[in-house]
Amino acid sequence: MSETLALLVALPVLTALVPVVLGRIWQRAGWTVAFVGTVLHLALVVQLARAIRVEGTVSYAVGNFAPPIGIELVGDWISATLVGLVSIITLIVLIFERDRNDSSDAFYSELLLLTAGLSGIFVTGDLFNLYVFLEITGLATYALVATNPSPRAAVASLKYLLVGTIGASLYLLGVGYLYISTGTLNMADLSQQLAEVGYTSPLILTGFVLIMIGLGVKTALFPLHTWQPDAYTESSDSVTVHIAALVSTAAAYAIFRVTFAVFTPSFASAVPVALDALTIAALLSIILGSVFAIMQTNLKRMLAYSSVSQFGLVIVGVSVINETALVGSLVHLVGHAVMKAGLFIAIGGLSIVAGGYELEDMRGIAQRAPILSAGFAVLAFALVGVPPAVGFVGKWNIVLGAINSGDWIVAVVVVTSTLLTLAYFARVIERMYFNSPINIDQTAATDGGQARPSVPFQTRALVSILAFASVSFGLVAIQFIAAITPIVGGYLT
Amino acid sequence: MTDIASLRPLAAVMIPFVGIFAIIAARSRPNIREAATILTALSTLAVIGSLVPAVLNGTVHVFRLGVFVPGIEIALRADALGMLFALLASLLWLITSFYSIGYMRGLDEHAQTRYFASFAASVGTAVGVAFASNLIALYIFYELLTVATYPLVTHDETQTARRAGRKYLAYTFGGGIAVLTGTAIVFWTTGSVTFTAGGIAALGTTDPVIARAGFALLAGGFGVKAALIPVHSWLPDAMVAPTPVSGLLHAVAVVKSGVFGIARTVLDVYGPATVGDLGVGIVLATVAGATILIASIIALRQDNLKRRLAYSTISQLSYIVLGLGLLSPAALIGGLLHIPAHAFMKLTLFFCAGAIHVETHTDNISEMAGIGRRMPLTMAAFGVAALGMAGLPLVAGFVSKWYLLIGSVESGGVGGVFALVLLTSGILNIGYFWPVVYQAFFETQNNADSKPVIEFNMGGRTARTDGGTESENSMTASPVSESNTNQPESPGSHAGSSNYAVDRHPSDHHAESADDASSHMEGTRAWKEPALGNESTWFMLGPIAIAAFGAILIGILPAEMIFLRLINIIVAGVTGVSL
Amino acid sequence: MLELIGTHYSYFAYVALVGIGLYAVIESSNLVKKLIGLNIFQVGIFLFFITGGYITGGVPPRVAEGGGPYVSPLPQVLILTAIVVGVSLTAVGLALIVRIYEEYGTLDEKVLSEAQINE
Repeated sequence: MSETLALLVALPVLTALVPVVLGRIWQRAGWTVAFVGTVLHLALVVQLARAIRVEGTVSYAVGNFAPPIGIELVGDWISATLVGLVSIITLIVLIFERDRNDSSDAFYSELLLLTAGLSGIFVTGDLFNLYVFLEITGLATYALVATNPSPRAAVASLKYLLVGTIGASLYLLGVGYLYISTGTLNMADLSQQLAEVGYTSPLILTGFVLIMIGLGVKTALFPLHTWQPDAYTESSDSVTVHIAALVSTAAAYAIFRVTFAVFTPSFASAVPVALDALTIAALLSIILGSVFAIMQTNLKRMLAYSSVSQFGLVIVGVSVINETALVGSLVHLVGHAVMKAGLFIAIGGLSIVAGGYELEDMRGIAQRAPILSAGFAVLAFALVGVPPAVGFVGKWNIVLGAINSGDWIVAVVVVTSTLLTLAYFARVIERMYFNSPINIDQTAATDGGQARPSVPFQTRALVSILAFASVSFGLVAIQFIAAITPIVGGYLT
Repeated sequence: MTDIASLRPLAAVMIPFVGIFAIIAARSRPNIREAATILTALSTLAVIGSLVPAVLNGTVHVFRLGVFVPGIEIALRADALGMLFALLASLLWLITSFYSIGYMRGLDEHAQTRYFASFAASVGTAVGVAFASNLIALYIFYELLTVATYPLVTHDETQTARRAGRKYLAYTFGGGIAVLTGTAIVFWTTGSVTFTAGGIAALGTTDPVIARAGFALLAGGFGVKAALIPVHSWLPDAMVAPTPVSGLLHAVAVVKSGVFGIARTVLDVYGPATVGDLGVGIVLATVAGATILIASIIALRQDNLKRRLAYSTISQLSYIVLGLGLLSPAALIGGLLHIPAHAFMKLTLFFCAGAIHVETHTDNISEMAGIGRRMPLTMAAFGVAALGMAGLPLVAGFVSKWYLLIGSVESGGVGGVFALVLLTSGILNIGYFWPVVYQAFFETQNNADSKPVIEFNMGGRTARTDGGTESENSMTASPVSESNTNQPESPGSHAGSSNYAVDRHPSDHHAESADDASSHMEGTRAWKEPALGNESTWFMLGPIAIAAFGAILIGILPAEMIFLRLINIIVAGVTGVSL
Repeated sequence: MLELIGTHYSYFAYVALVGIGLYAVIESSNLVKKLIGLNIFQVGIFLFFITGGYITGGVPPRVAEGGGPYVSPLPQVLILTAIVVGVSLTAVGLALIVRIYEEYGTLDEKVLSEAQINE
């Protein structure tokens, strides 16, 4: 059943055509098609998981061309979990979005295309294939950011397009360098060929640097992150949830795959300076991301900078080349997606009650929106790293791994990031719970309906579920760790 | 010591959390909500109490929760040291719940549901801290304790309260970071973080630099909550919280969890032998000794009663840390015994302060002259507890101090210095408690002595703010700042130009002048004597009486009170010496 | 040196194109010119790939016909894909620019940021 891998990408692509066609006949076509399509996608993921449990790593040759000539799709526990994450987050976004906007059918098509692109990034085993999926993801994201009717969204989307395309093109250039020196694009084959060519060859080094810069743009590491705050802030809430949880996650996963599957830890030992540079970029992201976040008053913008910081954390776990740290990194990748999604949904709901996204709008809002505020508080503390939530498990493993490798600076910075994260979240929680509300007369002057705008039930339900998940994932993370440790160990031998 | 699997440690931790749901569900019916709190406290105490006979016999109840991070299994173990803390916390929670009811209703406070729910969460996590079987489990509950107590500190929702809350979060999370790093170091060098009586063996043989670094991080991190100088300053600011919170959490549960963490580090992670070998014990003892003295001296200058008690707490907590740092068996017993001893005494003191606040709205000592007539039972309990703090016999403080003195002399060498520190501290304790008690019973508002230690300006010259007028009253020491910059002019004395107290208060005794600042005294010049038992609600008086009585009981019959027996088991298990 | 340029002129062209494109993206204030610069940047990269796949005296890989060294079709395929991607990106970018022009009435980046601040 290794065709599942191909179907995981093909199905959403095909389904993406349907809303535009059906939408002419039937009004709610878009939402239903997207929903059905995503449920089917989730079913495919379950199928994949079962196959992996039986056979271990599953691989599929596209078009029956055997690798390394042909394109190979690979599925192991890590990618299966992440593709599952894609399905679930898309479902969550659809449920969240249902009564909020009148989204056009194009919106749903783009959402499905984005799902296809993301699934592709997670299952591909070929570097150029990765580029294609990276660009599909990018295009879909640019379009989705621009669906928000505000004019600022268009500018944010264009900015994202320009920066993102340069990044992806640099990635392509890096792939080109590698291809020219080895003649292959398959990840597994490349890892052997690169060793034969010699890791100190300038072509290989340049290839690595270009690929990392390109992927760094997509992951929004400092200083390549500048597109992210605008894109997150100006897009509509449902889009923000989706892209915050998934797009940077996919790019970070790509960095992990390239570093470990293609370049392997032998490269790190041969040319330590390359990974040291990555570590430094990641450490700067952690610190500066948090510092910028503390300076923000718009909550969505604050969470965008928070993402910069959190992905710095993930990448630093990758770049110290240590089994424990890598495990922590992957746990945090999954956990962060869940927590960020929850936080953005909570903000979406709170902004309805508060009438805005500013920090000062949130004063005393805990009285008017108790469930959303409580969910936000739980998710915030989970992201800070209060155990037993999943945010702690990732951090602990990264710190332990860093100490194991003797990277004391990394360990100190990661541990200090807790305080920095606390700094920007504590302000919000304090305003929500311990300030008296400002006058609510702005809501009374609206359409003459109810004085208190109501938050749809599904928003509150989703926030509660995600808050609960962030804590329980921490408790069951050990199972995930047990599943991925053999894979990680395989990369490190 | 035999381990048996049991649900009871889990129950002890989970019952308060279940109680939270009950409290929130009953939010619109205050009486049911309060009943839920009492019921939860009672059940928690019952469960923990039922574990006591087992622990005294040497059986340890364990509940395994499973592996949380690779290589570390989380379990809840009711061993002797854990029982000490858990028993204390749950017992005093019950008493404090009654007190809280009286206090919150007396002041008609807002957000009482949030208050009671956070209280339950705090005690639940405190019991979790007590029963944690290794450093990671301890860290989990430690951080949760911070999160649970934050809404209580910021309860008032004023600017001061919010600032205090922020400071509290910053300090305690900072401490948590140090603990986390220390835990990672211990795990990295030894592969284990489990609490083993006598210490993890591998720590004795690893590189001393690393071992010392780990100890410094752990002790320093826990020391934030234990209010060691210089990371103590969150505690006086946290006094802005309602008094039951200050009492139970900041004199009993939160700060005691910090001390508990240090105890676990010294006794069960490193072990007294390794601590002695590394030479870090004496450093810990020195920091503790410095804290004892400095905090007592600062306490002398505080006018706000709760702040004075806060500094007293800082000082007394370091008795415990001193005992832990001196490492001899007697010192360990003394230090550990001071945990319950100080808890009962300090709780009594805080309850009294709270009762005074509710009944008369006075917070400053300078306004409390003659209050013994208004609240005789309260001030009597205050007096008893104050005696205990100073270390006088018959009250709990004496027993722990006795062991500490023996222990400091026993550890030889520098130990004598610490014995001196303890004795000096006793005198200082009397120095800052005696005036309160004396003026309560033996003075009246009309006839009060001045307080030069509180009032005098450090640095000599009176600081004048520009453009303002001189204040008419001498007694307005600002409660929030530690350095008093007010002008000590006495009522009725108009020798304004002199800067020396002795010139301005020739007889050091104020006679009442009719037009004095009665506005400042809020019209409570002459305290009216109430009927016996009528001075305050019994919700508050009862707990005060019980806490004071408990302090006396520990002082008279320490062995019968379970705490000393538990402590003997602990110390025997760790050092092999039974006293 | 001159011989290097003589034989590797394509590579120099690729570097020049990438540099010009990047410069245009950063420096132009007109949004359309930025997009054009992006295209030039991408064309430079395509040139690199194709030059990398060039074999002197190579023949198309039609094995039945026999002949000299076969040129690998892979780089050309890669570039076809990349060109398609580039076209779609340009399309999306231009659509966005049209919308921005409708909303703000300007295509100049500096005027645009002023308008956004004053909004």
